[in-house]
Amino acid sequence: MHIPDGYLSPSTCAVLYAASAPCWITALRRTRRRLLARSLPQLALFAAFSFVIMMFNLPLPGGTTGHAVGVGIAAIVLGPWSSLLAISLALTIQALFFGDGGITTLGANCFNMAIAGSFAAWVLYRLISLGAAPESRRRVLAAALAGYGAINFSALLAAIEFGVQPMLFHDAAGAPLYAPYPLHVAIPAMMAGHLTVAGAAEAVMSAGLFGYLRRNEPVLVGLSAPPAESARPLRAPLWGVLALAMLLTPLGILAGGTAWGEWSAADFSDSSARTQMVAASGHMAAPSAAPTGLAHLTNLWTAPMPDYAPRFVKSAAFGYLLSAIFGVGLICAVVWVIFWIAGRFGAGDDGVPVASSTGRRLRAGVVSRTLRGFSRALERTLVQEDTARARGLLQAVDPRVKLIGLLGLVVTAALSHRLAVLAGLLALGVALAVASRLSLLRLVTRVWLVAFSFTALIAAPALFLTPGAPLAHFAGLTITANGAHSALLLLARVEAAVTLGTLLVLTTPWMHLLKALRTLFVPVEVIALLAMTHRYVVLLVETSNAMFESRQSRMVGRLSPRQERRLMIETGGVLMSKTLALGNEVFLAMRARGFRGEVRLIEEFRLRPSDAVAGVGFAAAIVLALSAGR
Amino acid sequence: MEQSPVNAAQSEAAMAAPLEFEIQDLRFEYDRVPALNGLSLRVREGERISLLGANGSGKSTLLRLMDGLYFAQAGTLRFRGEPLTEDALEDEAFALRFRRQVGLVFQNPDVQLFNPTVFDEVAFGPLQLGWSRQEILDRVMSTLQWIGAEHLKDRAPYRLSGGEKKRVAIASVVVLDPDVLLLDEPTAALDPRSQSQVIELLESWNDGRKTVITATHQLEALSEISGRAVVLRQGRVVADAAPEAVLADTELLEAANLVHVHRHEHGGVAHKHVSPYLRHEHHK
Repeated sequence: MHIPDGYLSPSTCAVLYAASAPCWITALRRTRRRLLARSLPQLALFAAFSFVIMMFNLPLPGGTTGHAVGVGIAAIVLGPWSSLLAISLALTIQALFFGDGGITTLGANCFNMAIAGSFAAWVLYRLISLGAAPESRRRVLAAALAGYGAINFSALLAAIEFGVQPMLFHDAAGAPLYAPYPLHVAIPAMMAGHLTVAGAAEAVMSAGLFGYLRRNEPVLVGLSAPPAESARPLRAPLWGVLALAMLLTPLGILAGGTAWGEWSAADFSDSSARTQMVAASGHMAAPSAAPTGLAHLTNLWTAPMPDYAPRFVKSAAFGYLLSAIFGVGLICAVVWVIFWIAGRFGAGDDGVPVASSTGRRLRAGVVSRTLRGFSRALERTLVQEDTARARGLLQAVDPRVKLIGLLGLVVTAALSHRLAVLAGLLALGVALAVASRLSLLRLVTRVWLVAFSFTALIAAPALFLTPGAPLAHFAGLTITANGAHSALLLLARVEAAVTLGTLLVLTTPWMHLLKALRTLFVPVEVIALLAMTHRYVVLLVETSNAMFESRQSRMVGRLSPRQERRLMIETGGVLMSKTLALGNEVFLAMRARGFRGEVRLIEEFRLRPSDAVAGVGFAAAIVLALSAGR
Repeated sequence: MEQSPVNAAQSEAAMAAPLEFEIQDLRFEYDRVPALNGLSLRVREGERISLLGANGSGKSTLLRLMDGLYFAQAGTLRFRGEPLTEDALEDEAFALRFRRQVGLVFQNPDVQLFNPTVFDEVAFGPLQLGWSRQEILDRVMSTLQWIGAEHLKDRAPYRLSGGEKKRVAIASVVVLDPDVLLLDEPTAALDPRSQSQVIELLESWNDGRKTVITATHQLEALSEISGRAVVLRQGRVVADAAPEAVLADTELLEAANLVHVHRHEHGGVAHKHVSPYLRHEHHK
């Protein structure tokens, strides 16, 4: 459920950043004292764990991806404050390195998954396990429900954020500017995947890991010594509630005032209702539009069984779901074909961890295959700094100037409402990539294709579902002008933002990026955590790979899916204890050599005249795009 | 504290040297499992000490406490007269001074090597202590030269061989030129050639004024690396003497699990051999 750049309006993003900020600050304040002396490895481990877990994702109808988050077990072990920090870090690294979840939407993603998720999981676990004996089965159940509840709560929040977009933000013709589906489509579409697949994955993982840790590391789950945080009174969630109220109030007021976007299939099939609705909107250029794509779409599903179709089949949500499922299949096929071709010609040097892209081969050991794919892709992305050390245009720019400039451009892309401006920003990104000697093939496979596969999924049904003047007919469906505009806008914005964001990571060594963040007043604890988490991700994947290989070398034949699931949970537990032990040692070794959280580099950042030129260039591009993009 | 079976053998000069560490009745436990049980020890400047003991006798724990990484639940640990506590190390000035003066080489080099290149690895400590750029470049290069690893400077540490890793790990600590060097099993898991390389390296570094404390359960190189042997058992000092005296005390070594006794019979006569080695010559 990572919301990419461009799906939420800048004002929604700002509101959610504002809601997240007090939580981050409070969490840092609460953990600060112990963090650099002791708890950093543990926190970073859960961040890394969550990072890895979240990469096992599948595109879901409803806008984003479905995956477990690891927030259930993190909140139980770390308590809500440290957990929200850990998950936020995981999301930050994903946004920076993989464009998984946007930079402008990072506040929203952190709010949904890290903050709301952590508190939901923690409260659920405490409530359900209240008074239960340490060895009670109720605690395992509590862990499962904490994970299940938390992830669904997060998904619901994301769906609401999606759903309010078309009501609040659309152009003069009524075409949605951001996520195109209203609440009654977004919520069922989003929840369908999370109540079932992703929720179950999170519940199984929470319960499984809790059981493992209770047996093997009882101190970690607070069952042999009192955990540091549980001793505090239950005043903790107060801030969370406050932040939630802060968030919902302005949205609620705005949403109450407008009914636009709250259309349904029934309204469209009833011509009087349609005219009414269209007139009420006051924005529609052609109120007498031919039957909308939405109605067509609904008819398509009900056609084979017109008399027996249950009512829900006629709903827009169901129509959307079905078209989205077709979309997923289609996109998976396209992506698979491209990877197959890339692999054929030896060009597939960049194994992107898209779980769905490997098609049928997936069945032969999803876990071990995915893991191996991960470690390859991760090593390339996280360890190899070849592109960052190459001699190119952006590599020569001071990291601070680059950080501000490129992030500014990403925000600009999120703010732009014009296709031409977005195309210009995308072209700028490509030009910068070429000037920085980045492989375009790598950019295509790693960035564009991934962003495209998710966005096309969202955008495709919008072609038909958005009311407006008909543009073209396609297989009995009508593509509306508004729909085409919305879809293209979304796609262009996402691609532009992702390209510009990726340039930052590809042209800057990780430690330089951290130091640049540090000089921009990001707290030293956050930087230390980011550095540690980054290190852990590599460690986790390496260790898990080695463990799988050693296990597989001792096994004959193929595992049943059930066995493989069990193996995965157990491996996860062992992996956690192992990595934590190793990570604690690494942290001690760092402290033994004087590490106190600060990022220190031999290279001093020095602003040169060329950096001033770069800064002016960035500023000019931003100002130009902003003035033209509205 | 129980009486040591062997009396401490220390030279007149060492007795006169100022105290480096003063440890009194130290207690430490991990998750309620005791590791140190009222351990007392005094270390003077310039001493070369071997900490002997089987796995789990508390050697590593003691080194970590002495390096200010763990903090005891009871007892006192003073470094040059100042108590080494969590609060004391919160003080930036004290922490910088202490980290400059005391270095610890971890047993597992994989733990110690966490930077992208060998050069970065060795430069990590000096950077943390805020040295100047030129000073760092000079010191790192001369240290790499000293361990014979200049050619490895751009390699990733985790891709090195076991012996190379160990030498880089030692370099990453020695680059700070500490007054006190704590070594946790410096030759463990190394082949014989790498072992002697590491020992020679440490010998060449020590100019006689450095304090070196080496935890080990390998008795072969004992007198080469130390002038005093401290034997730990179950978190306490059970012997503190010259290495030769400790090596001669079979009963003590057996009790501390440092040797194994091989009993057998031939010609109807039962007898036994005592050896620190798994394979040893039987009848000379």
